[in-house]
Amino acid sequence: MARTKGYPEALDKKLADTRLYEDERHPDFTKTVEKVSMTIPHMCFQCGTCTASCPSAPRSSYRIRKFVRRALLGLEDEALTDPDLWLCTTCYSCTDRCPRDIAPTDVIMAMRNLAFKRDIVPVNFLKTVQAIYTTGHGVPNNDVNRAARQKLGLNAEPPTTHGFPQYVKGIQYILDYYELKKNADRIVKEREG
Amino acid sequence: MREYAFFLGCIAPNRYPGAESASYKTSEKLGIKLLDLEGASCCPAPGAFGSIDLDIWYAMAARNLILAEQMKKDIALICNGCYKSIWEVNHKLKHHPELKERVNEVLKGIDMEFKGSIDVWHLAELFYDPEIVGLQKIRDSITVPLEGTRIAVHYGCHLMKPKKERHFGTTEHPTWIEEMVAALGAEPVEYRNKMLCCGAGGGVRGYDLVHSIDITNEKMINLKEAKVDALTEVCPFCQLQFDRGQIEIEEKFGVKYGLPVLHYCELLGLAQGMSPQELALDLHAVSCEPFLEKVL
Amino acid sequence: MAEKKTKKETAPKKKEATKATAKAAPAAQKAPAKEQKKARVGVFICHCGTNIAGSVDIEDVQEYSKSLPDVAFADNYQYMCSTPGQKKIADAIKEHNLTGIVVAACSPRLHEPTFRTATKEGGLNPFRFEMANIREQGSWVHMHDREGATDKAKDAIRIAVAKASMLEDLFPKTVPVEKAAMVVGAGVAGMQAALDLANAGIKTYLIEKNPTIGGRMSQLDKTFPTLDCSQCILTPKMVDVGRAENIELMTCAEVEDVEGYIGNFDVTIRRKARGVLTPDEAEAKGIVGGGCNGCGDCEGVCPVIKPNPFEMGMKPRKAIYIYHPQVVPLIYTIDWDSCIKCGLCVDICGDKKAIDLEMQDELVKVKVGTAILATGYDMFPIEKKDEWGYKKYENVVNSLEFERLICASGPTGGHLVRPSDGETPKKVAFLLCAGSRDNTGVGKPYCSRFCCMYSLKHAHQIIEKIPGCQPYLFYMDIRSFGKMYEEFYYRIQDEGAKFMRGRVANVLEDPVTKNLIINAEDTLLNRPINLEVDMVVLAAAVQPAEETERTRKLFGVSRSMDGWLLEAHPKLNPCGTTTAGVFLAGVCQGPKDIPDTVASAEGAASAASIPIHRGEVELEPYFAQCIEEKCAGCGMCVNLCPYQALALVEKDGRKVMEVTEAKCKGCGTCGGFCPGGAIWMQHFATPQIIAQIDAFLVGGAK
Repeated sequence: MARTKGYPEALDKKLADTRLYEDERHPDFTKTVEKVSMTIPHMCFQCGTCTASCPSAPRSSYRIRKFVRRALLGLEDEALTDPDLWLCTTCYSCTDRCPRDIAPTDVIMAMRNLAFKRDIVPVNFLKTVQAIYTTGHGVPNNDVNRAARQKLGLNAEPPTTHGFPQYVKGIQYILDYYELKKNADRIVKEREG
Repeated sequence: MREYAFFLGCIAPNRYPGAESASYKTSEKLGIKLLDLEGASCCPAPGAFGSIDLDIWYAMAARNLILAEQMKKDIALICNGCYKSIWEVNHKLKHHPELKERVNEVLKGIDMEFKGSIDVWHLAELFYDPEIVGLQKIRDSITVPLEGTRIAVHYGCHLMKPKKERHFGTTEHPTWIEEMVAALGAEPVEYRNKMLCCGAGGGVRGYDLVHSIDITNEKMINLKEAKVDALTEVCPFCQLQFDRGQIEIEEKFGVKYGLPVLHYCELLGLAQGMSPQELALDLHAVSCEPFLEKVL
Repeated sequence: MAEKKTKKETAPKKKEATKATAKAAPAAQKAPAKEQKKARVGVFICHCGTNIAGSVDIEDVQEYSKSLPDVAFADNYQYMCSTPGQKKIADAIKEHNLTGIVVAACSPRLHEPTFRTATKEGGLNPFRFEMANIREQGSWVHMHDREGATDKAKDAIRIAVAKASMLEDLFPKTVPVEKAAMVVGAGVAGMQAALDLANAGIKTYLIEKNPTIGGRMSQLDKTFPTLDCSQCILTPKMVDVGRAENIELMTCAEVEDVEGYIGNFDVTIRRKARGVLTPDEAEAKGIVGGGCNGCGDCEGVCPVIKPNPFEMGMKPRKAIYIYHPQVVPLIYTIDWDSCIKCGLCVDICGDKKAIDLEMQDELVKVKVGTAILATGYDMFPIEKKDEWGYKKYENVVNSLEFERLICASGPTGGHLVRPSDGETPKKVAFLLCAGSRDNTGVGKPYCSRFCCMYSLKHAHQIIEKIPGCQPYLFYMDIRSFGKMYEEFYYRIQDEGAKFMRGRVANVLEDPVTKNLIINAEDTLLNRPINLEVDMVVLAAAVQPAEETERTRKLFGVSRSMDGWLLEAHPKLNPCGTTTAGVFLAGVCQGPKDIPDTVASAEGAASAASIPIHRGEVELEPYFAQCIEEKCAGCGMCVNLCPYQALALVEKDGRKVMEVTEAKCKGCGTCGGFCPGGAIWMQHFATPQIIAQIDAFLVGGAK
């Protein structure tokens, strides 16, 4: 990422040093990404098959090839703070076609995991967590649906945690084990007040 | 009757109950009994949970798997997203002992242990498999052939990809679901870039809706070109993206398609003589009427 | 054969050696470690500059060596393989009256011959030398563990000393070499090798499975970077091969069986029934002036139409056919799978009586001294990479199909057309590395090495032939490494080819126009590309020809992990194999363009001619020997031997095993199995090996 020079703000931004410096590289980042993703971004030869397979690339600045490159070089900050990180639909087309047998999708997932450790995460992800913590479902039931279910001869609540809410406790235990609910609540509150 | 623990997921029971209802009824006619998997939760959503912490995703999915292990039944499910979580976590935990240990360490707190004693199947693959059901049995079960209709298939991503880990063969030019559509008497129709993602996955639908439905719109343009009467899929989340997505596309981009979107189980239900009411097709955002008129 | 037998029996030294071992063996069974007269071993430790000395404490190792039993002398030197280093060995043998030599240095594959010679120069039998590998298996793998590497060097030396103290005099066996050679495969590599051998005065059997020689090169239109017409430069060679007195050409032929060893290979060849007699064959049958003259009347009346494989199936041929007008030999061939035996061809052939619909395969036996494999390549079935739609979309072709489509003698007379509608394409995309450099397990991990260059040539050809036609080359790296290749790249770019730096993710077909939509990323612009073209050419990977596997097994040649045949050494012996007398030419060893193929063929021919010109070869004396007193004549070893080197013979009124030494490869299968311990493996004898194991297990470096 570009380095500032201590000039007045406007000039500092305009004239920021864009060269890549060795101290931006964190070799541990490469290793951590590989461990979490269980794949091998360090083998990338930048052919672009992934980007060309990507449904998000043609409508955004998201370039999965660039993220794999960042994994390879250990450019941790540049990777984790780029909002494009969250545009992967996880369709795995890149993974199916990568000639180097890398799973770029899993590289993205690993980077998102590492970003979350820095509280970098879109709130919609956390809201899914909150919903599951409360009900066991990411997309919970509602009254319209309950009525429709009954019309079909189904129970108003499906035989899931909805029908058997005693099971929600187990789910809460798991999420609390990782302090996920606490962190989710905290981050949502910070963002939305 | 083969018995499976039926993993419902979220969207089918809570948004498209017709798909759930159709699954019980259609599969029963094909020799499959779907049993309640009591206390199952969200799979959990592979995009949201996988993005936040893969370990939590593994543990949460393992809990669902253990419920079926306790029933001593394989799991059957009808959603690609669920398949990604439930099938893949089952597969990963079975093949990575250190991962299994890590997960069991957490689950100890709720007296659960993942053993790896069951398998996970998508109902569609059970339908297609001649050893289980097969096309002929599907054909034999049909009372209202969907003759004269042109139906396109959206395979979705998380069922078959990444192909190296799965067992479905080609992910570039698959035709097995088209064969299942043809078995209902309908004409399966190819269209441009069939294997393109619906746009919903990976949390993108929630993160950037217009981006997400712009992908859907690209699919809709290609489907329109192919002049199809309906789109079928085997994933309620894709279904939601195409069905409600069309309303969102109309709102945001000002384009209207009106293409009915039906889960394969709903389609099969129609062909086996279930009424639109029995399938709660009225809950769909895009009216299925134009398609139903052709069929019934 | 008779001559050789006498030689064997009269070789006095050999007899002595056999007796000595026979005597030593029974004693060795009781006390496996030490027998023979008092051994005096000299140990020499090489620094190899810093290669070894950088990670091994040489002084320490030398002191340790001196402490070992039977070691009479130990020394070290910077480079043992240098002249002064070798002199140290020779001098020490004399000065210290040594009986065995150990050099601790590199791999025996590199310098065993060097040190054997030095041992011999010192007056010892060269087989009293043993090498301890402390570099490849020591210092290099334990570069950062000086203590460990030093300990391991000590272990290796202790083991080598244990063997060296028990080594015996051995004498290599000399066998005569048949003055004839065989070349399998008559593409440009096989043809060149056969011509070179023939011109060097060696009778050469050239075996080709197809009805004509010429191979892949004859399917090409032009050749890079000079752009000369492939057929024009190849046909003179084909004609030469057809005419060469020393070449016995067998087309429609396959190697059926190989027996023997360097100098004396007995090869059985299956000459497949081609259903048509050559003029010579006709004459032999008493048909005067008969046999096939290539007039083609038969083809005219034949009612069966099949695709011509030479034209990649894009042009028809009959059930009686030739591949193309320039075939050598110009003899028609019947495709038995499609012939309906209607007899129309027989009738029209008339008095020439060239056609025999009842012809049968024939087995021919020949004896050769050396053999060259030149079995070439096939295209990888690129439909396996289904993202590019080969065999699914009509306008996606592979590069060999493109060669035929652009070739003046091809199915379209050189007018490049789209298979779907016969229209001339205006935009053509070339997909490089299609199936090459692919680590998915579907394609090939290697670079196919000539696709970059022929794709450049293809681009040139369409620019030249179709005004306004735009070629796009989708590439990852352009590998233009040969003489005048980079200049060719410059030229083609100047001519207007567009180079897109990105690998193609997938190809989709427009269902109406049958145009193709390329999805790639321009990785230099950092933008996805969506390019609609009229035609796609896949520069598909190459793989060993289908029958390579069968042929290599017959000749006992290994293959590398990627399937290509394995050379004896990738740099220093690229044409040789680990089977003495068998050599490799051309692409069967790995992808090569034409210049490299021809160079490799000339190398193989030269190498294959050496034993023939010398007239005899020396075989290393690692033969099994039968200790007749112990042999019960059970004969179980005879069937176990993979080289048919063993036989039961009658001696002094009982049956004992006898070894044909020239056939024995010293593999040890029989020796390891023999229930009575009656087989002595020279240089790898049981007591020697047990002594090595003991030395490893009992003595410790610390």
